[in-house]
Amino acid sequence: MFAIDVLLFIGAVLILASIAIAKASDNLGVPTLVLFIAVGMLAGSEGPGGIFFDDPALAQSIGVVALIFILFAGGLDTRWSDVRPVVWQAVSLSTIGVILTAVSVGLFVHLVLNFSLLSGLLLGAIISSTDAAAVFSVLRSKNVTLRSPLKPVLELESGSNDPMAVFLTIGTIQLITSPHAAVVDLIWLFIVQMGLGLGIGYGVARLIVLLLNRMKFSYEGLYPVFALASASFVYGLTALVGGSGFMAVYVAGLVVGNSYIVQKKSLFRFFDGLAWLSQIGMFLTLGLLVYPSRLMHVIVGGLLVSAFLMFVARPVSVFLATSFTQWGWREKTLISWVGLRGAVPIILATFPRLARVPDAEVIFNLVFFIVLTSALFQGWSLPAAARLLKVDAPLRQRRKYPIEFEATDGVDAELQEFIVPYNSAVVGKPIVELGMPPNSLIVLISRDERMMVPSGGTVLEPGDTLLALVSREQIPRVREILSERRSKEDSESGEF
Amino acid sequence: MKIVEILNEQVVRTNLPGTTKTEIINAMIDLAATQDRVLDKEKMREAIFEREKIMSTGVGSGFAIPHGKTDAVRDIVAAFAITEQPIDYQSLDEQPVRIVFLLVGRDNMVGPHIKLLSRISRLMNREEFRKRLLEAHTPAEVLEIFRQEEESHFEV
Repeated sequence: MFAIDVLLFIGAVLILASIAIAKASDNLGVPTLVLFIAVGMLAGSEGPGGIFFDDPALAQSIGVVALIFILFAGGLDTRWSDVRPVVWQAVSLSTIGVILTAVSVGLFVHLVLNFSLLSGLLLGAIISSTDAAAVFSVLRSKNVTLRSPLKPVLELESGSNDPMAVFLTIGTIQLITSPHAAVVDLIWLFIVQMGLGLGIGYGVARLIVLLLNRMKFSYEGLYPVFALASASFVYGLTALVGGSGFMAVYVAGLVVGNSYIVQKKSLFRFFDGLAWLSQIGMFLTLGLLVYPSRLMHVIVGGLLVSAFLMFVARPVSVFLATSFTQWGWREKTLISWVGLRGAVPIILATFPRLARVPDAEVIFNLVFFIVLTSALFQGWSLPAAARLLKVDAPLRQRRKYPIEFEATDGVDAELQEFIVPYNSAVVGKPIVELGMPPNSLIVLISRDERMMVPSGGTVLEPGDTLLALVSREQIPRVREILSERRSKEDSESGEF
Repeated sequence: MKIVEILNEQVVRTNLPGTTKTEIINAMIDLAATQDRVLDKEKMREAIFEREKIMSTGVGSGFAIPHGKTDAVRDIVAAFAITEQPIDYQSLDEQPVRIVFLLVGRDNMVGPHIKLLSRISRLMNREEFRKRLLEAHTPAEVLEIFRQEEESHFEV
């Protein structure tokens, strides 16, 4: 028996169990990430599973890889037209807001739990970011839909504030471990990291888009592979030259997702699946890593910090960071409530352990506890909070694509509806005589209560609505055809 | 779906002021956006003007049907108006427009959207029906004319 056989078997069982539990708890409204962590804890050394796992370095690697794909998929799925109007608000939340949260939690921990100031700030930095995976999974669940601009703000915030938290954590660890580090250096480091992240993320993404559209892969299956490798490439390249890889990969996802690319739908589906796998894998690992018995020691402290974070630090940060906006208190209160912490803090909490910072063990357990309470409590109550604050939007209907078309390499066309003008020259003519340009096709005609798939002999009537597959370049030509007026004699022959 | 089911007195006007095509479309959008099924008015506006660029929705005989598909609405959004003055709408037959129907559908519901488009544009091709609409004085009258016409024209 090989080790890999055991590993595969156990891994598969855990993932299948996670999926089954997520499905079974559909109606409970518990954030799925809590369930995945719970599966991991049950399977772990103190649960019935009894799997011994105590390798923060491996957990951290898994977490980083998973986060890359979650952020890339999150970026892909974020529509620029939705977030464009709220970019500054989100940026303010993910910079000023994060710093305010980190500092206020740091001071609280220092004063109330008797941590040293730096250890307190480290804890604050670790839990300063809202978690993209947690926020996305709650916002995209079936239980809640928020009014614009709340949803785009929250998504953009949670995607873009992780790099900030990563930076603050690493910076604080540096302050703790090397006495010579100065705050000024950190500011410079921040500019370099974010600048490189933005620049490389954007630049490489443009290249990815260009290549995706230009390279004609012989096998469709290669497109997602190409995108997958590109996402890792963006992260790796940026991190190697000293930039923020997380920032770069999120920006790259945003750029690629909002560009015209071939195979878009299949790429999206691929990354959607990959993001789920990453989430499950990451939370399972983190659940395995924690020892529930050690969490017991930090219950009181954990609850105190958690409550302070939810009811004081986050709201104060949100209200201050958005004080320049026109939003009312309802919107700001809701944003405050969607301060879900998730995997990022737990992954970050492994950093001090690996750097052998004093208090690292307590910090890890505290962070774990805070994440659990925040995800459970805030995630669970979000739909109710949204309704109470009257900022919820009605649930979206399940997506149906009765007529769906995917842009494919070589077919640069889209579905467009046209109404046949009442006295157009095409009225009374069979389709075959219209002279529709090449690369265009009338796929459906709606007339009164009927929808029909036309044949060349189908005769058009005034007011017919045509659904046509037309390339962008041919739209003017189709417009010309439909807009040609009937000659005088024809129009006198009466109205239809 | 019936046309009378998507209209109500709040979104119908019988003497909509305005002198240009853009003014009229914007006024219709204001009218429609009073309903809470419109989630994002500006995005809806964008979709409508985007569609208008592809081909004028002035389909002739003094009737225009500005429309669009977007996820900025949660359900079908409609508005109907008789304009105070005849409007130059760049219609194919160059006739000025007096009757305007605004229809916005969700972008994932192509079927119902084009069905309604054709139902409206087919109905509006009847001269006698247009005359009756132009003579209506109140939104309630407009709705009643629609109801009668749909009953006589369609089985459903």
